[in-house]
Amino acid sequence: MSRDIEIAQVGIQFHQRGETVIALEDVSLSIPKGSYTEIIGPSCCGKSTLLRLIADILAPSSGKITIGGSPPAEARRDHAIGFVFQQPTLLPWRNIRQNVALPLDVVGRTSHRRSDRTPDQLLELVGLGKFARSLPAELSGGMQQRAAIARALVLQPDVLLLDEPFGALDEITRQKMNLELLRIWTECRTTALLVTHSIAEAVFMSDEVVVMSPRPGRITARIAIPLPRPRSLAMMRDPAFTVAVNQVREALFGDEAETLPGGEAY
Amino acid sequence: MKGSAIVTAALPWLVIVLILAVIEAIYRTGHLPIFLPSPSMLWGSFIESPTLWPANMGPTLWKAATGFGIAAGLSLAGAGLGAVVLAAYAPIYNLGATLQSIPIIATTPLLALWLGTGAETQITIAVLVSQFPMLNGAMQGFRAADSRQREMMHCLAASPLQTLRYLILPAALPFIFAGFKIAAPAAVLGVITAEWAGAERGVGAVMLNALFAYDPPKVWLSVIAACVLAGGGYGVWALVERLVVVWDRPTELRQ
Ligand SMILES: Nc1ncnc2c1ncn2[C@@H]1O[C@H](COP(=O)(O)OP(=O)(O)O)[C@@H](O)[C@H]1O
Ligand SMILES: [Mg+2]
Repeated sequence: MSRDIEIAQVGIQFHQRGETVIALEDVSLSIPKGSYTEIIGPSCCGKSTLLRLIADILAPSSGKITIGGSPPAEARRDHAIGFVFQQPTLLPWRNIRQNVALPLDVVGRTSHRRSDRTPDQLLELVGLGKFARSLPAELSGGMQQRAAIARALVLQPDVLLLDEPFGALDEITRQKMNLELLRIWTECRTTALLVTHSIAEAVFMSDEVVVMSPRPGRITARIAIPLPRPRSLAMMRDPAFTVAVNQVREALFGDEAETLPGGEAY
Repeated sequence: MKGSAIVTAALPWLVIVLILAVIEAIYRTGHLPIFLPSPSMLWGSFIESPTLWPANMGPTLWKAATGFGIAAGLSLAGAGLGAVVLAAYAPIYNLGATLQSIPIIATTPLLALWLGTGAETQITIAVLVSQFPMLNGAMQGFRAADSRQREMMHCLAASPLQTLRYLILPAALPFIFAGFKIAAPAAVLGVITAEWAGAERGVGAVMLNALFAYDPPKVWLSVIAACVLAGGGYGVWALVERLVVVWDRPTELRQ
């Protein structure tokens, strides 16, 4: 099962030390169920805030969000949302298997939400089979983040939200993790929404790339990626890939894109 | 590797034996001041009345343990209340700190007048001197889970009780044990101090009697007994912590 996400005219303000920050203004977006979407935009344009609104960590000041027709609070209580944070956020006193099984402890033995995959099978899926009994502190950051992904999948979420999940990792590890994430998503077929900082990664991974801009945070472009699935690294040489990368870069930088020294990591 | 570990473990004991031997030697040459008994005199005093020590360490131990237990219960309950009802946090903390700062030398005679010189006085003093380290530790501990971890539990739609069980309590344990390790010796020393104000039995009573009888070996033996009880109190909690808190091992600063 997967669910669509409907975001209609959502706005949110924060009040801090007498100042009002408009974090998001008039954001509308519909994400079809089972699709893979990445959000890209400069720092502080409200990407995390948007994800946190969908996950019912924050409530919007205006507008409405629905997940498969229900409000986020209901979807959360129904354990329909999996969230992967920027940091792995594992509990240091639980070993890796126990961390992955934490959502199962919360929902109880009888929940229909329990994945067909056991925590051990999920650990195999993310390549941590041998580390089930290790404590988080004994694993590298990349391995911890993989455990966090396994934890987010253990209740078979209808919607998987990932906030710069590989932001703290080096380029090579990030590349590998992205390929693994695509493989996992292909197997699970949940609706996936990921925040990224890399244009090439967003194009390579997504069905659609959403571009945001700051002050106030809003969506400035949505670029459909016409590459077929399953994706392979060879597609990065496809002309369609280059076209899409340029579209995203233009949406991010406008006319400035011409004068930038041509790298994709901005 | 293994051999050097044994040497490391044995070294403190070797040093102690050496120091004792030196003191004994000085005593034999007649240069030891009268208030400093030699190891052989201590041993002689000990075997003269071996049952004296368990008979007096026992009461001190159970009074300290009772006081510690009451203080632990009160501190954990107070810290728990302070964590749930934010308005109660500062008053509870300040009450604990105020009670801690009252000198027991001043309160003990007053309590002795009021409650008599029975176990109640000594247990009350043990509660007073051991509560604050535990309250302080527990209050810090209940806030130790960071906002990201709390957010994660929120995303899992965990109930307040589940959040307490899976997150708040485990995160608090290192801080709670830190408080317990300071509070346990404090409770022992509190009881002994209170026993000075009058007690039938207890390490403090023996200490006071030996002092008035000018019996230096017995004074020293009672000091050793006090150290054994206080150190034991620390050791027990350090051991429990080591067995329970397996995820929070100390790391070297230069790592
Ligand atoms: N809890 C909060 N309180 C106050 N301001 C916030 C809060 N969360 C986010 N903001 C502000 O909202 C804006 C968007 O933040 P965020 O969504 O984290 O951006 P991004 O993830 O795109 O870098 C920033 O200006 C940030 O300072
Ligand atoms: Mg962010």
